[in-house]
Amino acid sequence: MGSTDLHLIQRRVRRTYELARLRRALMGILPVVLVTAVAAFVATRPTAPLAFGLVTAFAGAMMLWHGKDPQKAFLPGVIAGLVPLGLALGAGALHTCGAGSCSYVCVPACVLGGVVAGFAVAGVSLQRRAGVWFWVSASGLALLTGAMGCGCMGSAGVIGMGLGFGAGIVPGLLRRVFGKDTRQPGDLR
Amino acid sequence: MNVRLDSELDALMARLADGDRGAFTRVFELLWEPIQTLCRNLLKNEADAADAGQDAMHKILERASDFDRTRPAMPWALAIAGWECRTLARRRERRREEDEASIPSQAGPHAEEVFLQRDLTAAAMAALGELSDVDREVLVATFWDEAASVSGPTLRKRRERALDRLRKTFRSLYGLD
Repeated sequence: MGSTDLHLIQRRVRRTYELARLRRALMGILPVVLVTAVAAFVATRPTAPLAFGLVTAFAGAMMLWHGKDPQKAFLPGVIAGLVPLGLALGAGALHTCGAGSCSYVCVPACVLGGVVAGFAVAGVSLQRRAGVWFWVSASGLALLTGAMGCGCMGSAGVIGMGLGFGAGIVPGLLRRVFGKDTRQPGDLR
Repeated sequence: MNVRLDSELDALMARLADGDRGAFTRVFELLWEPIQTLCRNLLKNEADAADAGQDAMHKILERASDFDRTRPAMPWALAIAGWECRTLARRRERRREEDEASIPSQAGPHAEEVFLQRDLTAAAMAALGELSDVDREVLVATFWDEAASVSGPTLRKRRERALDRLRKTFRSLYGLD
């Protein structure tokens, strides 16, 4: 068989590999679709959960399709994001959402959820001695998942969650940056 | 294939399963020749072997993301290729039977097909003998859907294995290996 034919076959096989990974990725985001559906059902205004859910599902599919660190960050990211999402939806359910009074409870809930999610992402990343892409991917997905709940408050909820997340992740980041000197060379990734 | 190439293939398949596309070309190169050789030996026909070999490469790389890195890659790939060859041989045989059925005057046993079938069975048995117990179990499990319905301990065991596979799929899907 000529090298051109072989090259052609290789390209076709490569396409099969990519399509198979894409199929797996679409199967893998089913939990996100489920969470989005539940969030849209529970939230008083389903637009934000649906919009952020769509972005989360797309980002998750890309991460699972790409593989390596982003694939490994998918589950920790989504699970960490469920905390601010759950707290925001809980706060929304406890109060009948009139614009002002509801946000008073929801924003602190989003901040608190963000802090917990930040701690969780940093904890898992440190435990796995993960690379930068794991941190970035898990953080992004946690924020997107949380935004499904906090987005119903408008930008205040999302910003609050982001600030909380930043605060939660800082100790872990510091430990990663300054803890490097004390590690053995074999421990570094 | 020698031990060094086998371990290289194992490592590259693990990387490919993780989504490292840089390993793709070398995996393709390492698998291509052994699979073509196996298909030629099983099918005894250059054109059929080429078809089955290409189909096998598609199947192997399609399942690359599910590759179980605790097991050697080459026997796994050859098992898939062997299955593809068998499927192609069956398909060809069925087509020949249909053709013969449409011509009543040529009905009767076909010596070439009988020999081909015997060759295939012998080659499959030899290949099975080379595999580990675990690999053999997996291949047997492939035939479950053709087996009669069962109950009791057998069913329990099958359920356990199915759950184990499900667990493995979940772990590979989210990169937890």
